[in-house]
Amino acid sequence: MEALLGSLEQLALIKALKTSFFAYPIVNALHILAIGALVTAVLLMDLRVIGVIRSLDEQPFVRLLRRVALWAFALAVLTGALMFAVRATEYAGMPLFWIKMGLIGLAGVNFVAFSLLRQPSAKRVLAGVSITLWPLVLLAGRFLGFVL
Amino acid sequence: MRRLRVVLLAAALAIAAPVLPALAHHGWAWTEDGFFELTGIVKEVFVGNAHATLDLEVEGVVWRVELAPPGPTMAAGFTEDTVKPGDEVVALGNRSLDPNEKRMKAVRITTGGKAYDIYPARVPAN
Ligand code: HEM
Repeated sequence: MEALLGSLEQLALIKALKTSFFAYPIVNALHILAIGALVTAVLLMDLRVIGVIRSLDEQPFVRLLRRVALWAFALAVLTGALMFAVRATEYAGMPLFWIKMGLIGLAGVNFVAFSLLRQPSAKRVLAGVSITLWPLVLLAGRFLGFVL
Repeated sequence: MRRLRVVLLAAALAIAAPVLPALAHHGWAWTEDGFFELTGIVKEVFVGNAHATLDLEVEGVVWRVELAPPGPTMAAGFTEDTVKPGDEVVALGNRSLDPNEKRMKAVRITTGGKAYDIYPARVPAN
């Protein structure tokens, strides 16, 4: 594991990112852009499912926002993985990093369950779980830089 | 729509509130005003984004010494090849306001008889 993380840090692309003046902040900014889009889409979607937002038809609204959320999540994973690789060994040793990954995992399981379930009352509960989990992921992510 | 506004505002506040004290770690607000000198043995050195760090062992305790982002750190002449584990280093800077936290931010690193001014503008006049 240690060796794998170490070789990740040694990749040419990652070594360039490590000391770059522009590239790293841009990757960081894209991570933030992705997170903003993701959390906004998730929040609006969940509020619609829960019934706080009623002015728009649920189906097309949720379908659109789910597409936005999935693309935003993909960008967050890509940019997050790049930043992780710059200091892989260090992050892998931080409990907070694994808390963040665990929360993302939980949110993922919640998303799959939400997609499979049909019962509206159950979907509302899962939307409530989602609205709690994603901001927690955001918090864990923001705190990472301060405990590093 | 009014209900939505209240919910969104409450959510934003709930998210923002715990983050505010943590903003301390950028800049110098989280450090003491007076200068602090730490002499230790290098455990690990990292010169990269978002900022460079040096881990120093002092009497069996590992301190984290924060440097600048990689650009200014390397401009001061300090790179990952400047020190290696086992070297003795003197870090001059400001330590964390929290006395239990083994952490400081360095303005000058001295090693092998050479001084590296990481934050030249903040180095105290000799
Ligand atoms: C597999 C997916 C992800 C990985 C590997 C990842 C990894 C990272 C890494 C390495 C950092 C830099 C931490 C530092 O400052 O040292 C970071 C920052 C951050 N991440 Fe992620 N992340 C992922 C997904 C997410 C998601 C889904 C969210 C939010 C919902 C998120 C929220 C944040 C936040 C808020 C920051 C701080 C950005 C800043 O202040 O500059 N991350 N992430």
